[in-house]
Amino acid sequence: MAKLEPETVAGKAIADSGVVLLDGPGGVAVAMTPDAARETGRQLIDAAEVADRQPLDPAPEPA
Amino acid sequence: MRADTTERVTSKFLRGRGRHRLSDEELAFLDRTVERVRDLPARHTLVRTGDRVRTSTLLLDGFMCRYMDDHAGYRQLVAIHVPGDFVDLHAFPMERLDHDIATLSPARIAFWTHETLEEIVETQPHVTRMLWFSTLLDASIHREWIFRMGRLDAEGRIAHFMCELKVRLEMVGLVEQDRFLLPLKQADVAEACGLTGVHVNRVLRSLRERDLMTFRAGQVTIVNWKQLSALGQFDPAYLRGGL
Repeated sequence: MAKLEPETVAGKAIADSGVVLLDGPGGVAVAMTPDAARETGRQLIDAAEVADRQPLDPAPEPA
Repeated sequence: MRADTTERVTSKFLRGRGRHRLSDEELAFLDRTVERVRDLPARHTLVRTGDRVRTSTLLLDGFMCRYMDDHAGYRQLVAIHVPGDFVDLHAFPMERLDHDIATLSPARIAFWTHETLEEIVETQPHVTRMLWFSTLLDASIHREWIFRMGRLDAEGRIAHFMCELKVRLEMVGLVEQDRFLLPLKQADVAEACGLTGVHVNRVLRSLRERDLMTFRAGQVTIVNWKQLSALGQFDPAYLRGGL
């Protein structure tokens, strides 16, 4: 079954050895510097606020 | 010139995954047609992307990898090979590879020339079929690696990676009481799993603290196979090609 819906469970971010590790959602697994993590966080929050105001598009139909 | 060797260089080839389908005569034939056996140091590049390749390599001892570098020079491992694996059999029809091949540890390898493989194709259809089968087993491992990278989080990726290596090494008799040697650095694990070294270090620590596995001084100990394989969503069926 293709996963066509967005993730509904948040990823987990932790700090380790001066680096921010993001695990999930899904197959996301990335390490970032604190600055990159801060900027990513800001962009995520900004995008979430815009997405809140957008109408939901129906999920694309399987080919 | 054919190598005159009394060692059974093919002793680990397809062990646990179809070797029983090769007759003693066919295995002896493969042994007789080895061109050369060679020892390589660790971290030695054998083939570079785009090289014209005229031989195919069976790994007899040690670990090897295939990898691709991105434009910034960061490496992604696309395969790890254990004893008994043909490392570049697919180079026979392809002639040039789209990736590099290197040793991860000191390694012993055996070569067949492509001229010899051409003769095998023309005169030994069943051996040819089994060589083809071994490349398809490679392909199934590639598919699992895509799944691992695409669908599993960091813990899942490392759990899957270790479970796969355990089963592959078990097939060739290199696991003892759930322990096996794995002469890889954490950086190699990171490059195989699409993670950073920090992430790998943290996950390995977590898996150790939860009594699932340990990886210390080049040795892996699987403490809780059931939980580790569940964490990695690991099912070894793909390693046997449906056999």
